[in-house]
Amino acid sequence: MSSKDVPDVLIVGAGASGGVAAKHLAEQGFSVVVLEQGDWVNQSDLPGLRPEYELLGGGPWHPNPNVRQRPEDYPLNLDDSSAVIGMFNGVGGSTVLYASCWCRAKPSDFRVRTLDGVADDWPVSYEELEPYYRQVEYDLGVSGQAGNPAYPPGYAPPLPSLPINMAGRVMAEGMNKLGWHWWPGYNSIASQDHLHQKKCERYGVCMYGCPQGAKGSVDVALFPDALARGARIETGARVARITLDENGLANGAVYFQDGEEKFQAAKLVMVGANGIGTPRLLLMSESARFPTGLANSSGLVGKRFMTHPFGTSVGLYENDLEDWVGPTGEAIESMQFYETDASRGFVRGSKWHIIPSAGRPLGMINRFTLGEGGVAEEPFWGPAFTDRMKSSVGHLIEWMIMPEDLPEEHNRITLDPSMTDSDGLPAAKVAYTTGDNTKRLVDWNLQRSLEAHEAAGASKAWITSRNNPSWHNMGTAKMGDDPETSVVDRWGRSHDVPNLYVIDGSVFPTATGVNPTATICALAKRAATHIVETRREQEVSTA
Amino acid sequence: MSAVEVRLEPFGGVVLSAAQRERLALLADVVVAGGAGMPSASGAEVHTQWIDRVIAVRADLAEAVSRVLVLEGDPDEVLAGVRAGDPELFSGFAFAVAGAYLINPRVRRELGYPGPAPMKSPALPGEAEAYLEDGILDVVIARGPIYRPTPGI
Ligand SMILES: Cc1cc2nc3c(=O)[nH]c(=O)nc-3n(C[C@H](O)[C@H](O)[C@H](O)COP(=O)(O)OP(=O)(O)OC[C@H]3O[C@@H](n4cnc5c(N)ncnc54)[C@H](O)[C@@H]3O)c2cc1C
Ligand code: SF4
Repeated sequence: MSSKDVPDVLIVGAGASGGVAAKHLAEQGFSVVVLEQGDWVNQSDLPGLRPEYELLGGGPWHPNPNVRQRPEDYPLNLDDSSAVIGMFNGVGGSTVLYASCWCRAKPSDFRVRTLDGVADDWPVSYEELEPYYRQVEYDLGVSGQAGNPAYPPGYAPPLPSLPINMAGRVMAEGMNKLGWHWWPGYNSIASQDHLHQKKCERYGVCMYGCPQGAKGSVDVALFPDALARGARIETGARVARITLDENGLANGAVYFQDGEEKFQAAKLVMVGANGIGTPRLLLMSESARFPTGLANSSGLVGKRFMTHPFGTSVGLYENDLEDWVGPTGEAIESMQFYETDASRGFVRGSKWHIIPSAGRPLGMINRFTLGEGGVAEEPFWGPAFTDRMKSSVGHLIEWMIMPEDLPEEHNRITLDPSMTDSDGLPAAKVAYTTGDNTKRLVDWNLQRSLEAHEAAGASKAWITSRNNPSWHNMGTAKMGDDPETSVVDRWGRSHDVPNLYVIDGSVFPTATGVNPTATICALAKRAATHIVETRREQEVSTA
Repeated sequence: MSAVEVRLEPFGGVVLSAAQRERLALLADVVVAGGAGMPSASGAEVHTQWIDRVIAVRADLAEAVSRVLVLEGDPDEVLAGVRAGDPELFSGFAFAVAGAYLINPRVRRELGYPGPAPMKSPALPGEAEAYLEDGILDVVIARGPIYRPTPGI
């Protein structure tokens, strides 16, 4: 193969970060190949408009690959994890199922060591990332309200806010009584037709995949542009290892497709395989030069895994709130308790948001049968069942309490010694224990959320769950300036391999207290922009 | 607990015999007895119709149903025993029954849902603004910034 036949860039993973990078680079004239282990998702196959949507969402469309068990999924050994972990594997990655809560991190998130004396500052600031947030917000059709005092001035989403719906309104009145911050939610869901996204019709089944094409899932919003500019996606292509030339530069990847081993050459490799899939791939790419895993001279690949083990509380309300009306992103959010206040007994804080509850009536079961404060002990089945359902469906508001999660090296991804995927590659083993700070933070915020329910007029309120699976996977290839204490530099470029970039949530030095995809996409956009701007100096493999 | 003796065949084929459906009606009514103006599980055709939809898409729930169906005895006592001795099996069975019950369009209507499956509910022109037009956000804005600024750090 002559070097002109070798694509400029190989991207592993067609998820959020891969989509952002593929679109940007293809539009800038780079030749791009994306290797994705899953397939395209056909909108007509999505379960959301079928009567049994909730049952399908708990089975073949579950975010946990161990439940889904599709051939393209790699299993996870969760024996040593206090949190359930998951993602979606296919074109669009986890954005196919994501709730589209679009949350910029806040300035303090990038400076936690300086401000709070914990973990590490990021090598990037909010101000540096802000232009990239803005660009991806346009590309992914983010709807929201300008002027939020929880952010520096100038944050104005490209599309008008979606309605906060009745549940949002009732809770907003309660928050005002308490003098607590709230704001209409931000969602990467189009409130009007926008680029490839259609206007949201509020089916409320966003987490089963959007049948309308309104959600900013990257298969809908970004890949069509990348393909139109010549990018190529190989589906069913599971990367087994990234390869190096004799100079230690990345020169492509070995992958399996239909059981056949193949090789894709490239001048530069970007990995956007998710906070679990990326460390798994780097660890699988061990070599004589990198015996403990590719780009792992720091020893940190796979370590510092963070997720957001969030909590929930609910309140029962007399009025019919019709809380099945979508979207199932954020109706409203609150940043009242986001910043550190040492008197609370923990550092950092939490973003709260309200998500429509009645779209998942089966979800009521756990809300009652696992409810705290004596609710679980109350009768639920038998004669009580219909009464419970009638009093809650459409009459319940749910707060989700998203906690900051701090990095700890013992929380880590390794290769499982025995479990394998359908190509015989090792499964990822997750070791994760929810930290004490995170537990205290969730508990304190849950108690406050009960006060919010009371102020909003709930006849009864209780804590429904803790330690929920957030499906947010972060921290396993830390970004930093010092090669001894980080895997990639401030651009996402490996300290060890100068033409290897990591662009997904693996690079997060801390988890932030918000849903991560806005920041993942902004960082991927920034990395891709950097690659374009520095292309003349970029070392590439010629072998 | 007795071993699995009945295999329910998901994804088509004969799912339940008439006798099994009769037995399921009795057991399912222990889980969803009805009231508050709503039918019991059997009154909502869980055993004759809707359970098939559950079994077709969830092999794990089909297994729970099959394991409970083989248990003989008074339905109340059987399920009390399962609940005490194998809470996970009880959860699976109860979830299957509730899942079948809640996809019956009549039940959904009783609960206030606009349709038998999620429906379009497009925002009316001006709806987003209507929730805010009385100035409900003004106090939030008036309190001023609540983020910790970091420039220069
Ligand atoms: C149910 C659910 C709800 C969520 N809700 C929200 C939300 O509201 N807001 C929010 O911010 N975030 C949310 N998230 C998280 C969000 O989806 C992820 O943060 C985001 O998609 C991560 O982007 P990524 O590029 O890192 O990885 P992904 O989007 O997960 O994509 C990674 C891709 O890489 C592929 N891949 C992995 N390994 C290989 C390999 N070896 N070879 C080939 N391909 C490979 C995978 O198949 C996958 O398609 C949610 C996630 C889920 C599952
Ligand atoms: S509510 Fe909107 S984004 Fe969600 S599934 Fe429906 S149309 Fe799609």
